[in-house]
Amino acid sequence: MDTLQHLMVGLTAALSLQNLTFALIGCVLGTLIGVLPGLGPAAGTAILIPLTFKLDPTGALIMLSAIYYGAMYGGTITSVLINVPGEAASVVTCIDGYQMAKQGRGGTALGIAAIGSFVGGIFATIALVVVAPPLAQVALKFGPPEFFALMLVGLCLITGLGGRSLVSGLVMAVLGLLIAMIGIDPVRGAPRFTLGIPSLYDGLGFIPVVMGLFGVAEILLAIQQPRRQVIKTNLASLMPSREEWRRAIGAIGRGTGIGFFLGLIPGVGAIIPTFVAYVFEKRISKTPERFGQGAIEGVAAPESANNAYANAAMIPLLTLGIPSSPTIAVLMGAFIINGLTPGPFLFQERPDLVWAVIASFFLGNILLLVLNLPFVGLWARILHLPYPYVCTGTLLFCVIGAYSLQQNVFDIYVMIACGIIGYGMRRIDMPIAPLVLGLILGPFIEKSLRTSLEMSAGDFSIFFTRPLCLVLLVLAAVVLVASALRLPPREVREASAG
Amino acid sequence: MPVSGSKAFKLGWQIACLCLLSIFLPALVTSLGYSLTDALGPGPGFFPFWLSLIGAVLAAAMLVQVTLAKADEGVDIGLAPNRRVMLQGLGVIIALTAAAALFEPLGYRLTMLLFIVGVLFILGARSPIAIALTALAGSFGVFHVFYHWLKVPLPIGEIGM
Repeated sequence: MDTLQHLMVGLTAALSLQNLTFALIGCVLGTLIGVLPGLGPAAGTAILIPLTFKLDPTGALIMLSAIYYGAMYGGTITSVLINVPGEAASVVTCIDGYQMAKQGRGGTALGIAAIGSFVGGIFATIALVVVAPPLAQVALKFGPPEFFALMLVGLCLITGLGGRSLVSGLVMAVLGLLIAMIGIDPVRGAPRFTLGIPSLYDGLGFIPVVMGLFGVAEILLAIQQPRRQVIKTNLASLMPSREEWRRAIGAIGRGTGIGFFLGLIPGVGAIIPTFVAYVFEKRISKTPERFGQGAIEGVAAPESANNAYANAAMIPLLTLGIPSSPTIAVLMGAFIINGLTPGPFLFQERPDLVWAVIASFFLGNILLLVLNLPFVGLWARILHLPYPYVCTGTLLFCVIGAYSLQQNVFDIYVMIACGIIGYGMRRIDMPIAPLVLGLILGPFIEKSLRTSLEMSAGDFSIFFTRPLCLVLLVLAAVVLVASALRLPPREVREASAG
Repeated sequence: MPVSGSKAFKLGWQIACLCLLSIFLPALVTSLGYSLTDALGPGPGFFPFWLSLIGAVLAAAMLVQVTLAKADEGVDIGLAPNRRVMLQGLGVIIALTAAAALFEPLGYRLTMLLFIVGVLFILGARSPIAIALTALAGSFGVFHVFYHWLKVPLPIGEIGM
C-alpha cells in the first residue's frame, strides 16, 4: 500500500462517528486548557489521560493528540485578551495581540491567529504525511547502537537548547534517567532502588510524576499570580481588512515554514519557533516600528509557527520515537500506556492506528478553526471563571489521573512530592524538560545501550565502528560543545528557557 | 544557574545542588551493590552507576559554580512568597495529602466532597451555594462520569460511598 492509500484508510477510520467525536472532545478540552492561564499543554494533556483509559488505542490517541494541538490554539485567546499566555508558546503573541485588543481589534487578532494556526497545522500535517514514511523506512535499518546514539542526540538537543545553563540541563537529564531506573531491571529482572517498597517495583509512574511537576506545581505557582482583568474589545469582527490580509498572508507563510523546520529538531521547544518567526517578521518589515504597537504580522507569524511546530514535532516521535518536548513526551507516555512504542516499527505493526491518528490531525485542525472563529466569544467568557474553581478542578483531575492508572494511592503521594519539587524548580528557574525527557527515554536508552554491549561482548568500540552511530555521537558531542560555548543566540536561549 | 540573581536566588540554587547530591551519592553507593557486569555484558548496576557518578560530579560542579557566582547587589527578589500565599499553598498540599490518605477508606465521593470544599475555602471562595454545587459536581458527578460511563475504577470506600 502506498502512502496515499494508507492515508485514505486512516481518514476513513478518523471519520467514523466515534473517532470524530473523540477528536471534537479533544479539541474542546484542549482549547479549554489553552484558555486557562497557568495550565500548560503538558499538564493539561497528562491530567486528561484518565479520560481515555477505557477507549480503544486509536480513539485514545486521536483524543489526546487533539487535546495537544487544541491547547496550542487556545493559548492565544488569553494572550490577546488578558496579556497572559495560556501556554508558553503564546508568549510572543501577547506583544502585538494585546495591543490590537486595546485598540478594539481583538476579534481581528484572534481571527488571524486562528487562520494562521490552521494554515500552519495543515501544512505541517501534509509534510508529515510526505516525510514520515520514508524516514521511518530509514529508521528501520537502525540497530540498537544507532537507536542509543539517536536518543542521546535527542536528549543532548533538549538539554543544550532547553535551558539557561548547560550544566543544570545535563544534571536534570541525568536525574530523569536515574529515576527511570527505579523498579525491576527489564533485562535481568533484578529490583533497583525500590527501598523495599512494593509499589516501586513497577517504577515511578510517568503520569504521576508529570502531573506533579506540571499540574500541581502550576497550581501552586498560580496561587501567587496576580489576577488580570479581561480587556473589553470588539470580538464581533473577526476577519481582517484587505490591508491587514495583505500584510498577514506572507507572515503566515513564513511563520509556517519556520515552525515546521524547527519542529523537526528535538529540544527546540514551542517558544523558539514563535520567537524566531516574530523576530524575522520584524527584521524584514519596512515599518518595524509598528511591531509592539499592534502589528497584525506580529500575531499571524508566531501563531502559524506555533501550530506548524506542534504538528511537525510529531514527526520525530512517530518515526524515531524521540519526543521533542515535555508535551510530546506525555503523548509518548500515552502511546506506551496503550501498549504501543512510538517509532519506525509502529508504521509496520500498527499502520491502521498511525494513519488514523495522522488523518485526525487534518480533521482536528478543521474542527479547531470552526471552534475558534464563531465561538471565540464563548472562550473569552471562560476567562471570567473564578480562579479558585479552576485550580480545584485541575487538582481534582490530577488526583484521578495519578490514582486511576494503577489504582494505587502511592501514586498520589508521588504526584504530591513531585508537585512540591516542581514548584521549587520553577521558583529558581531550574529546567524541567530535560528531567521529563530523561524519565521517558531512560528505559529505551538503557535497553539500547545494554543490547549494543551484549552484541559486542562488552566492547564499546561498537559505537565508533558503525558509521551512522559514529555520526550521531559526533552530532551529540557538537550539540553539547556548542551549548557550552553558548553558540545559539542569547535571545533564542532565553526564549527557550521561558 | 542563571548568571545573576538575588542572594535568596543563589541560596535556592545551593539548596537544590545539595538536594541533588543527596540523591546521586546514595544512588552511587547503592548501585555498587548491583552487579556492574555479568556473563552477558553490562549488569543491572552498570547504567545506574554511571548515571549516579556523572550526576554527582555535575551537581558538585554546579554547586561550586553557584557558590562562586556573585549575587546581584540591589536585586532583592525573595524566593519565599508572602504569608497568605504560603499558607494557601501549604493548605493545598495538606488537603492533597489528606485526600490521598482518605481516598480508599472513605471512597472517592466522600473524600472529594470534603477535598473540594476544603480547597475552595483555602483558595478564597466564599459563596456557599457555588461551593456546594462544585463539590457535588466534582464528587458525585465526576464519579458517575468516570465510573459508569468511562469505566475508570475509582474507590468506593468502606461505607459504600
